Amino acid sequence: MKQLVCISKTPETTAKINFKDGNTAFDESGVQFIMNPYDEWYALVRAIELKESLGGTVTVINVGPASNDVVIRKALAIGADEGIRVDAEPKSALYVAKQIAANAEGFDLVYCGKETIDYNGSEVGAMVAEYLDQPFVSFATKLEVEGNSATVTRDIEGGSEISKIDTPFVLSAAKGMAEQRIPNMRGIMMAKKKPLNVVEPVGFDDKVVVSSFTLPDAKTECKMIDPENMDELVRLLQEEAKVL
Amino acid sequence: MAKYMSMDNLRFVLHEMLNVEELCNLPRFSEYDKDSFDILLDSVKGAADQYMYPTFRDCDHDPARFEDGKVIVHESVDTMMKQAGENGTIGMTFDYEVGGMQLPHTVEVACGHIAEAANNNLTGYTGLTNGSANLIVTFGSQELIDTYVPKMLAGKWGGTMCLTEPQAGSSLSDISTSAKLNDDGSYNIVGQKIFISGGDHEYCDNFVHLVLARIEGAPAGTKGISLFVVPKNRIQEDQSLTSNDVITAGDFQKMGQRGYCTTHLVFGEKDDCKGWLVGPENKGLKCMFQMMNAARIDVGCTAASVATAAYYASLQYAKERPQGRRILSGGVKNVEAEQTTIINHPDVRRMLLLQKSVIEGSLALLLQCSKYQDLAEHGPEDTRTQNHDLLELLTPIAKTYPSEMGRVSISNGLQIFGGYGFCTEFPLEQYYRDIRIMSLYEGTTGIQSLDLLGRKVVSKNGEAMKLLTKEMIETIKSASNYDDLKPYAEKLKEASKTLESTLMHLLQFAMNGQHERYIADATIFMELMSNVTIAWQWLKMATVAKTALVTGNMTFGSEFYENKIHTMKFYYKYELPKIFSASETLKHKDSLTILEENKAVLA
Repeated sequence: MKQLVCISKTPETTAKINFKDGNTAFDESGVQFIMNPYDEWYALVRAIELKESLGGTVTVINVGPASNDVVIRKALAIGADEGIRVDAEPKSALYVAKQIAANAEGFDLVYCGKETIDYNGSEVGAMVAEYLDQPFVSFATKLEVEGNSATVTRDIEGGSEISKIDTPFVLSAAKGMAEQRIPNMRGIMMAKKKPLNVVEPVGFDDKVVVSSFTLPDAKTECKMIDPENMDELVRLLQEEAKVL
Repeated sequence: MAKYMSMDNLRFVLHEMLNVEELCNLPRFSEYDKDSFDILLDSVKGAADQYMYPTFRDCDHDPARFEDGKVIVHESVDTMMKQAGENGTIGMTFDYEVGGMQLPHTVEVACGHIAEAANNNLTGYTGLTNGSANLIVTFGSQELIDTYVPKMLAGKWGGTMCLTEPQAGSSLSDISTSAKLNDDGSYNIVGQKIFISGGDHEYCDNFVHLVLARIEGAPAGTKGISLFVVPKNRIQEDQSLTSNDVITAGDFQKMGQRGYCTTHLVFGEKDDCKGWLVGPENKGLKCMFQMMNAARIDVGCTAASVATAAYYASLQYAKERPQGRRILSGGVKNVEAEQTTIINHPDVRRMLLLQKSVIEGSLALLLQCSKYQDLAEHGPEDTRTQNHDLLELLTPIAKTYPSEMGRVSISNGLQIFGGYGFCTEFPLEQYYRDIRIMSLYEGTTGIQSLDLLGRKVVSKNGEAMKLLTKEMIETIKSASNYDDLKPYAEKLKEASKTLESTLMHLLQFAMNGQHERYIADATIFMELMSNVTIAWQWLKMATVAKTALVTGNMTFGSEFYENKIHTMKFYYKYELPKIFSASETLKHKDSLTILEENKAVLA
C-alpha cells in the first residue's frame, strides 16, 4: 500500500504571534517551528503503523522553503520512507492543495491532519480530494485497512460515524487515530540517508489575497470570588462582564 | 503543561554560543548535522513531556522503598528504562561498534538537561547504567563487554557504582570489601556497600554493579583498590540467570529525590558472590575516576536542571499572584487600585533575576565543559591536551556551582511563593529538597574544593589556569567591541586579576610548607573562582546576544537577546562583587578553622 502524508510546519505552541506588512503577513522572526501535531501524532503515525502491519511505503509531502527540511527529516526519523518538498511558499490552502495534488497520483491513501494549529483552516484535505477526484473523510479518529477496503470512524456531533470506503481516498486525521511516536536515535540517523526529493511547484494562478490578520482578544484576567459571596458574583456578571 | 525548561535557551547556548554543529566536522561525529541534533532534542523533550514531567510529583509522593525484601519504585522507572533502551539514549555517546550512537557529550548533556528538569527522580537510573557500561567498555575485556553492555544499553539491565562503605565515604582509601581470586579467573567478593543509587528494583532483570574492592594482599590505601563487575544474577551456560549472592539489605529514606532508590547491598554473605576484574589490578580507583569526572558534570547538570524547573515554576507564580500595589512616584500607594501581580515588585524581580542568572550561567558552563570533553577526546590532535586541561580544571566548578548556587536560587524561588512555597501544594519545596543532594553526590563541595585548589589549579605548573585566563581574555576582547559591554569586560578583567592575586597569596602557604593552611579555606576559593567563571560565561553569552542584535541575525525574538544582556548586567551588579569579600577572607591573616592543640573552640 502506498500512503502519502501531508505535513505542515507550524509555530511552536508557545510562540508569540505577530504580523508584518500592514498585518497582511505572519512575522516569522524569532518564532520556533514544529511539525503540525495533527499531521505528526495522528496522520503520520497511523500511516507508519499500517505500513508496519500491511507493508508498503509512507511518503511525506510538504510545501515550503528549504528551512522546512527539518520537519520532513523528523517525519523520516519517525518512520516515513521518503520525503517530497515542493519548493514554494505556501501562499494559501488552495495553493498548497494544488501542489500536493500534483504529486499525489498513484497513492492508495492520502492523509492530512484535521487542521493546522496556526490557521486552523481544515481546508487542504478536502481540496486535495477534490483535485484528485477522490472521496474525502474528515476528522477520522480510527482507520483500519483490509485489502483495498478501509473502515473509518469519524467524530460527529454527539457520537461517531463508521464508514466503509475503498481506496484510494483522502482523510483528515484527528485525535484518537494513533499515539504520538517519538523518533528514536537510529531513526534520526537513518533519516539523513532517506530520500528527500525537492520538486518545483506547478503553475497556479492563486486568487487568494490576504486583506489583513488580527489577533484574537487577549485572555481576560480571572477573578476569584468567594463562594459565600454570590451577590458580588452576580454584580460582576451584570456590571463588568455584562452577560446577565 | 507548565514550562519546566527553555528549549530556546538551550538552543541559544548550543548553536549560537558554542556552535556545537562544528563538532560534525570531526570524523567521530560526521554522521550528524544541526538538524539531527535539533530533532533529537525535540524527541527528548517529547518524551520528557509525555511521561517524565507528569510523574515528577508522584515519584515524591509515592517514594522508592524497601518492602518485604524488595525495592519498590514508581512505575515510571519501567517506562524510562524501556523507552531509553528502545530509543538508544542510554548509550548515545558510545561507539557504534558497541551499540552506541557516537553523539557528542555536549548533545548528551543537553538532552540530560531536558530530562532532569522534567523529573530528576528518574534520570539517575539510566545515567548510572550509562556510566557503569562506559567503565566496562573502556576498561573491561571483550567478554565482559559482550556479556553485559548490550543488555545495559537496551535498558534491560541496570548499572550501579558501588564505592561507599559504612566506614568509608569520602575517604575511599579505607574500603574493606575483599576480592579473592578463584581458579576460573573470577573473584569471590565479600563486603557491604551503602548509598547505592538505583541498586535494585523490579523493572530490570538484572543489575550490573561496578564494585571497588581489595584483592587479597593488595597494598593499603588507594593503591590497593581494584574494580570489579559484580552482577546481581550470574549468567549460566544456558543463558539463564541465577543468584550471585548479592542481597539488598535495605534502603535509605531521603529528604529529596525520593523516587530514586538508594540501597544497602551485601555481597557474598554465603561466600558465593563472583566478580570479574575490570582494568588492571589495583588501578580500580583510577578507572572509576575516569567515570567520576563525567558523573560530576552530570550532577552539576542535574542541579542546574532542577533549579531551572524551579525558576519557571516561580516565574509562573509571580506572573499570576496578585499582591500589594506598586509604589508610585512620590512614595505613595493607590490603595483603591487593583493589586498588582508580584512580578512587578522589585524585590521579587531581583529574586527571579538571581535564579535566571544562576541557572543560565550554570547551563552555559556545563555545556562549555562538555564541548571541551568532545574536543579533548575527538578534536584535532594538537588541541586535545589543552581542552583536556580546561575540562579537568573546570569540572569541580561545573559540579559545585550549580549544586550550591542552584540551591540558593531555589530558596529564592520558594521565597517568591511566600508561605505557599513551604506547602506541598506547590512544587518548590520538592525542588528544594531534591537539589540538596547535589552538593554531596560524587564528592562533596569540600572534596571538590580540595580538588580544585589542591590539585587542579596547580597541576602542570598552573598550565590550565593560564589556558582559562586566555579563554577569558578572548571573551573580554570580543565584548570590548561593543561600547555598552566594555564596562563589563573591564569588570571581568578586574575579577580575573583578583582571582590570580588571591591564588598567588595562598600559594605562598603551600610553598612555605603550610599545606593545611593552603587548603583550609578551599571552599571559599571555590566560591570565588566559580563566581569569576560564571561571570565569564555571562559575558560570553551577552556578547553573542549583542552580536545578534547588531547584525539582525536572530533565531529568536530581539527580546530574548536583550534579556540575556540584562541578566548579564544583573550578575555583574549583584553577584560578581562577592568575589572581593571572598578574596578578603582568603587573604585574612587569621586562620580560624585550623585545629589548634589544647584549644577547644568548638566545645
